[in-house]
Amino acid sequence: MNPVALGTIVPLMAVADGVSVSHYLVVGAILFTAGIVCMAVKRNALGVLMGIELVLNGANVNFVAFASPYLRGQGATSLGIDGQVIALFVILLAAAEAAVALAITLAFYNNHATVDVDRADDLKG
Amino acid sequence: MDLSAQLPLLLGLAWLAPLVSFVAILFFGPKMGPHGRNAAWVATAAIVTSLVLSLLAAGNWLAAHPVEVSHHAAGDHGGPHTVGPVAYAGDWYTLYRGGDLRLSIGWYIDALTVLMFVVVTFIATCIHVYASGYMHDELHDVTDHEVHLSGGGHLHRPGRFPRFFQALSLFCFSMLGIVIAGNLAMVFIFWELVGICSWFLIGFYYERKSASTAANKAFIVNRVGDFGMLIGLMALWGALGTLQFADSTVPGADGAATVRPGLFSLVRPATNGHAIQVPDGMVKFAAAAELAKTPAGDVAGKIDTWRSMGFGRWLLFIAGLGIFCGCVGKSAQFPLFVWLPDAMEGPTPVSALVHSATMVAAGVYLVGRFYPVLTPDVLLVIAYVGAITLFIAATIALVANDIKRVLAYSTVSQLGYMMLALGVGGWSAGLFHLVTHAFFKSLLFLCSGSVIHACHTNDMRKMGGLARVMPWTAGTMLVGCLAIIGAGIPFVAGLSGYYSKDAILAQALSFSRANPAHSILFLAVAGGAFLTAFYMFRLWFMTFAGEPRDHHVAEHAHESPTVMVAPLVALTVLAVAAGWTLPGGFSLPNLLEQARPAGTAEGMAGGFAFGSLVFPAEHESHEGAVHVTATLTAFSTALAGVLLAALMYLWRIVSPAVVATIFKPAYAFLAGRWYFDELYHALFVVPVLGVAQLASGTDRGVIDRIIDGLAWAARQLAGIDAWIDRTIVDGLVNATARATWSAGLELKKLQTGHLRQYVMFIVVGTVALFVLASLLFRTTMAG
Amino acid sequence: MTGSLLVAAMNFHTLLFYLFASLACGFAVGVVVADNVVRMALYLVLSLGATAGLFFLAGAEFIGAMQLMIYVGGTLVLLVFGVMLTAQAPFVSIKTSASDRVLAGVVAASLLALLLQAAFSVEAWRRPGLGEVAPPAATPIGTALVGVRVDDPPPGTPPGVRSGYLLPFEIVSVHLLVVLVGAAYLARAKRRRTPRAIEVAASVAPPVDERRRAGGSASALTAGGVR
Repeated sequence: MNPVALGTIVPLMAVADGVSVSHYLVVGAILFTAGIVCMAVKRNALGVLMGIELVLNGANVNFVAFASPYLRGQGATSLGIDGQVIALFVILLAAAEAAVALAITLAFYNNHATVDVDRADDLKG
Repeated sequence: MDLSAQLPLLLGLAWLAPLVSFVAILFFGPKMGPHGRNAAWVATAAIVTSLVLSLLAAGNWLAAHPVEVSHHAAGDHGGPHTVGPVAYAGDWYTLYRGGDLRLSIGWYIDALTVLMFVVVTFIATCIHVYASGYMHDELHDVTDHEVHLSGGGHLHRPGRFPRFFQALSLFCFSMLGIVIAGNLAMVFIFWELVGICSWFLIGFYYERKSASTAANKAFIVNRVGDFGMLIGLMALWGALGTLQFADSTVPGADGAATVRPGLFSLVRPATNGHAIQVPDGMVKFAAAAELAKTPAGDVAGKIDTWRSMGFGRWLLFIAGLGIFCGCVGKSAQFPLFVWLPDAMEGPTPVSALVHSATMVAAGVYLVGRFYPVLTPDVLLVIAYVGAITLFIAATIALVANDIKRVLAYSTVSQLGYMMLALGVGGWSAGLFHLVTHAFFKSLLFLCSGSVIHACHTNDMRKMGGLARVMPWTAGTMLVGCLAIIGAGIPFVAGLSGYYSKDAILAQALSFSRANPAHSILFLAVAGGAFLTAFYMFRLWFMTFAGEPRDHHVAEHAHESPTVMVAPLVALTVLAVAAGWTLPGGFSLPNLLEQARPAGTAEGMAGGFAFGSLVFPAEHESHEGAVHVTATLTAFSTALAGVLLAALMYLWRIVSPAVVATIFKPAYAFLAGRWYFDELYHALFVVPVLGVAQLASGTDRGVIDRIIDGLAWAARQLAGIDAWIDRTIVDGLVNATARATWSAGLELKKLQTGHLRQYVMFIVVGTVALFVLASLLFRTTMAG
Repeated sequence: MTGSLLVAAMNFHTLLFYLFASLACGFAVGVVVADNVVRMALYLVLSLGATAGLFFLAGAEFIGAMQLMIYVGGTLVLLVFGVMLTAQAPFVSIKTSASDRVLAGVVAASLLALLLQAAFSVEAWRRPGLGEVAPPAATPIGTALVGVRVDDPPPGTPPGVRSGYLLPFEIVSVHLLVVLVGAAYLARAKRRRTPRAIEVAASVAPPVDERRRAGGSASALTAGGVR
């Protein structure tokens, strides 16, 4: 952990001065990490899917932060509409991917009578 | 058509007729009648055609050139013969023309040619007829009892009747080719061809080792003689540029016909009175060093000077001697006579035709034809060779027990007689004896064939008393024996051999008187006559007289069929009458006189190598004391020989066995045939085999070893390469493959199939990447 | 005056931010921590709802609305359907081994540290926001999706023609169509000669209340024959 970062988070939170992009990035990071942990830890296939949603969401938060006119600092640039459009697309694609993943899971469930991903090791080398 | 065109035509056709027969039998032989029986008729028809044509030619010749009574009969020596004999020469076909040399097929026809044609075709006809009966065994499958197969038992083979007549036809063609030849090259070609035919015929029963060996021996020994002949040919061609006997007219460069002199004109030019001299070409050849120093214009004048200095005489001597070498081989003279007795392996008709009357006579004929070119030195060598041969062969014949061997050695001895006669200057005597010998020797051989046919054995010790059962054969053979010993009433009349032997003895005596240093030649002749009489009557008595020695043989003996007896009778007539002079003056000697070479009638003198020699004129030996002495000598020696033979073999007063024991070493020496075969074997065969062994040993031991060694080395190298390929190269490749495989197997374990693990890997990898990137690229991540 | 209002607004804004942020993060952590998949689903819904609030606070109201509509109202509902379909006793809560969780935690912590470091690495992102208000984004986004850009470029962006998003729009449309068809195919009910495994499993192990109430992972595990 960067001592510099620690040095800045605490003052940020304490002073509640103004919300910057970094704040949103932290949130995004946490969501992302949570999603990763979900994917790595959950044995239920649907839990893994949830983790994926969290990851995508964390990315979306980042994009929106960069695109926001509110959060733009002095002398910094913002993505503007582009960032929002990207976030929109991410949402769309996340939906599509969730649908397909769910279809796969249901097919797997139908064939193997289980949603335990640890049992889905037919592809092991 | 005049004689110069008629004679070549007749004799040319007579020459080619047997060739037609040969070709016909070659292609259609087995199909001529059952088992090829009619091949005999085809061959006989061809040779009869030749005989008829020869007789026609002879008739035309005699009509155009009547035989006059010999000069010396009237006591008139006449002048020296300044003109040459009547001869017709020409070319049918030029084989090769290069520079000066012309090789052609051509003719040289004189009285001798015509006579030889008649003699050869007549004897050949008799023998063709005889053989058609004698060879009847070959008309069906033959079991040859003299061939032992490796698995035991005797050889069983189909008969070869047509092949015999095919070979006989080819032989007749070749022999007549020698007789009609107009140049030495053609002689050589047919010389070799005759040799081949002889090889075929001797080796007719080729499955017998003895026969095939004898055939090879004959051919090889002949080739030794031919080597000398080639040297002679080369000397003549190299120095003189021509091999033709007679002059020829050729169209010259300017269109006019030029006369190119032949050998006879070159060596005995008319300008010199047809006396022998070294020809200009040889003088120039030998005096090459002098020639180089002399300007071209002076050459013609200097040639005579050089000639008198002796340039070129050795070349002429070598030329003559070389040609004689060929005759030594062909006519079985010392030292190349060893093939003739072995040649008796062939069927008896072959012995009669080839090895008594014709082929062996070709050597004598060539000496007679080539006589003008032979210098006195060469003639002396010929005489001595003949004398030695005569003696050796006669002594061996004394103790031989095989009837055909006796006759073979007798042939050798008689050929020695002929050579001696020619060597002492008796041109006519030698050739006369050639003709008479042809008749009675072929008769003797055919009779012996008759005897062998009846007794199924050649061994005289098993015969005896056959006169009772084979009267015709006995009678004709008796006539033959009398002819060969020269029997007759002295100074009155006699059989054919009487006249010819007489002539030889007379000329030999004449020569001895003229050259006392060489008297031994006459003694050889006389002694030879005694021995001849002895062994011939020994043969006759052992075969026909007394009691049969082997009853088995005597029981089965029978007279031969007519087809075999008729030729005997025909030849008997000629053996009796060939020497007689017919009313009107025709006799063989008189006929031969028409062919006498220019310049030989009056004798010769000269010689440089062996001292000075005198060759008396032949006609001198026919009159006076010489003739009387010669006749008496001939008669007495013959009589003595017959009496001794009768003592030992007819009346059995002196036992041959006792005599053999008394003279045991001599007898052994003679029975061993003077050990010539053993000598040649040790001198020539063993070294050649040694060299062959050496060569083969070198080839196998050295060369093969080297090659094998190289091959072995190559194989070893290949083995090493293979090992390298297998172990190192393949090993490398396989090791790479194995490494890849095991790496793959190891890496496969990463793929666990567990989703969560994959996620972990992704995350860990991402984190690691970022850390790495931040470490490496501090600028981008600088806080 | 404006400054104080601004401060008040800022403070309000900041407060709300912290509220939503903690909700989002908290519920996200809750998704991680929860064992029961149904609870996980609920926490996720809540987390994503909070995230939508964050979007609204950041000025991306269109996106926030879409988040709620598509993500929460569509995707997560779908997920909940999936949960319900497969929520049989043995699968409702499956526990992973402790070692896995520790390892995951360690790795996640390192990742988090990395990300946080990255978040604070660029000075420009740390400057507090100026609070500019932009016109509502729906129209610009809509027209941009059809290929026309009507928005003002934010200050500091390099000049030049800005493209629309027509092509990506079309692509995504087709993509969704494909996904629709594919998902329908993947999850189709196949006609089988032999009963499906799920039917076999259903016939073999009917859900029992006691087992569910026990909630013990071990018994559930052994009953389901898992691991």
